[in-house]
Amino acid sequence: MNGEVMNGEVMPDEGRPPPGPMEEPLRSDGPSKSFRTGAWRVEKRLVVRPRHEFAALAAALVVAILIVAGLVNALGKSPTASFAALYDGAFGSRESALETLVQATPLILTGLAAAVAFRAGVWNIGAEGQFFAGIMGTWFVYDQWGSLWPPLLFVLMFVAAAIGGTLWAMIAGGLLVRYRTNVILSTVMLNFVILYVLSYLLGGPWQAPNTFYYQTARMVDSAFLPRFLTGSRLHWGFAIAIVAAAVVYWLIRRTTLGYEIRALGINSVAARYKGIRVGTVTLLTMAISGALAGIAGAVELLGIHHRVQVEIAEGIGFTGIIIALVARLHPLGVIVAAIAFGALVNGSTAMQYQTGIPKALVLVIEGTTLALVLIASVASRYRVRRVKSHG
Amino acid sequence: MDEFFTGAVFLGILLATLRIATPLLLAALGELVCESSGVLNLSLEGTMTMGAFTGFYIANETGNLFLGLVAAAVGGMFLALIMALMTVTVKVNQVVAGLALNILGLGLAFFWYRSVYEAEGSVAIPTVETLSTPWLTYLAFFMVPVVWIFLYRTKYGLELRSVGHNPEACDMRGVGIVSRQYVAVLFGGMMAGLAGSFLSLGSTGLFFPDIISGRGWIALAIVIFGNWRATWVLVGSLLFGFLEATQLSLQASDVELPYQLLLALPFVLTIVALVFNQSRSSAPISLTVPYHRGER
Repeated sequence: MNGEVMNGEVMPDEGRPPPGPMEEPLRSDGPSKSFRTGAWRVEKRLVVRPRHEFAALAAALVVAILIVAGLVNALGKSPTASFAALYDGAFGSRESALETLVQATPLILTGLAAAVAFRAGVWNIGAEGQFFAGIMGTWFVYDQWGSLWPPLLFVLMFVAAAIGGTLWAMIAGGLLVRYRTNVILSTVMLNFVILYVLSYLLGGPWQAPNTFYYQTARMVDSAFLPRFLTGSRLHWGFAIAIVAAAVVYWLIRRTTLGYEIRALGINSVAARYKGIRVGTVTLLTMAISGALAGIAGAVELLGIHHRVQVEIAEGIGFTGIIIALVARLHPLGVIVAAIAFGALVNGSTAMQYQTGIPKALVLVIEGTTLALVLIASVASRYRVRRVKSHG
Repeated sequence: MDEFFTGAVFLGILLATLRIATPLLLAALGELVCESSGVLNLSLEGTMTMGAFTGFYIANETGNLFLGLVAAAVGGMFLALIMALMTVTVKVNQVVAGLALNILGLGLAFFWYRSVYEAEGSVAIPTVETLSTPWLTYLAFFMVPVVWIFLYRTKYGLELRSVGHNPEACDMRGVGIVSRQYVAVLFGGMMAGLAGSFLSLGSTGLFFPDIISGRGWIALAIVIFGNWRATWVLVGSLLFGFLEATQLSLQASDVELPYQLLLALPFVLTIVALVFNQSRSSAPISLTVPYHRGER
């Protein structure tokens, strides 16, 4: 791929997986076509149907639960009690179910951010940094024009969040298109750069008066995202996230740009021969992805935290990546996966409180699930057949 | 201001540089070998946490620091083995597998630690004695020429790098790709585990969830900054260590310079290196590209 130049345009190939023949981004992996063990033959399916994928996904989830249960058991705790407490904490009451949705809200948005980029085969793993950029944009507007008429202020804050996320994503996107820098590596680095920029602002110009904490002052109540119901933290950000998922679905499925994004992800070389401007589509994809992550930041700041702190993120960007992958990059699947992960986060607090099982179990569950889902997504493309021996 | 530029402060910074560079260098050298075989292992942060914990756990249980170091290496290799299974055998996308194992490594270490040491009622923070001689620092610097000779002057190392550049040709020549990638990934995991144990057994004598706090990612940055060359990985580790050491001294002094600038600098430099090394990059050509025999 080195130095591949076509009509003076340099192909941004690094940072994306190699294009396989007519395969979707996540499908371009897996062992060779077929191999035999004894009387059994493992071979690649010609057509992978949704039921194969669902069966593999279900098997992965069952195995993940068994592994985690075994681990909990090995450490001398009861797996059934843990899972029961986890479920109870996540969905046991109206309040806890609503709180699960609160936890899912930013995850839907960062999940969408990852899904859009990965659809194009652009491995933007900088949602965490773009999330912070969105928060910074939001706070900047609030800080400058906080006394504006609230509806106008909200619009401005969300626009600023989207712009912040977009600008930060465009650094990596621009370097990818212009210099073919590996976008995986550049986005990882940019996550750290913005963290220190934010840390500087929080300890300096933006620091709340009379405090040593790295945080801004609390926002005034009129700048909070309104809540749906009393007695729950569920706020309008959830509606924003759902609308965003619908828009992304429409974008990917029904628009020319969406078609180009998918084409780029399936086979960037073929996409270029078809006349798709690879550089432009890559940049647009990064912009959309960054904007979604930025909006996630605004939603979390305005809906829950109401002041800027480094602790707001708590891995929301990275969890979004997992969610996108578990949802097989489907925008509506992202909603389901985000609610499941939100339930884990929410339920774990209750679990720790009730049974003394550490919250960190959630990380184990997430890691195990993702690993098995990935393996299952490869396995679903194979079938095992009994074959007659050829002597 | 003048106080900052005294000899004692400078010597302190130099010693701190060596101390800070140790885990970075260990992990980065391991990652260098791993990436040379064409496998990008993004799970360094989780692997180092795992090593820091398993080392601490065994050292605390047995009272033997040497066994702790062995356990740290084994802990790192355990995660690396899963990484190799996923990426080399099943050929899952390496980036995603790395992220999954990052979370798994962090999760396993935190969960295990809290399960063992934070049972109801106990508030005492367990500690172990730290290594009296900085063996891990010696090891880290000793491994620089070892890795260089291995990668550039031994047959196996050359084959390993060929696998990272052109697996098709290796396959045609009968050079086993799978075995070499397994060896490389496991070596990377071992080094990351040891790097983690430097923080628990080598310097603090403690384990706490945030013990690695981004050093895994910095080690990853160092490999890129060093343009996938052992000597430049050494330079990068020392430079990044120096920047952090200076930053610590700055925070303690009254010099008016945002310390975050020095902390962000390594990552900015890495991005700059990524751009400028593009034309003469030593990056393995098949990095992150799974090899499929008979396809493409």
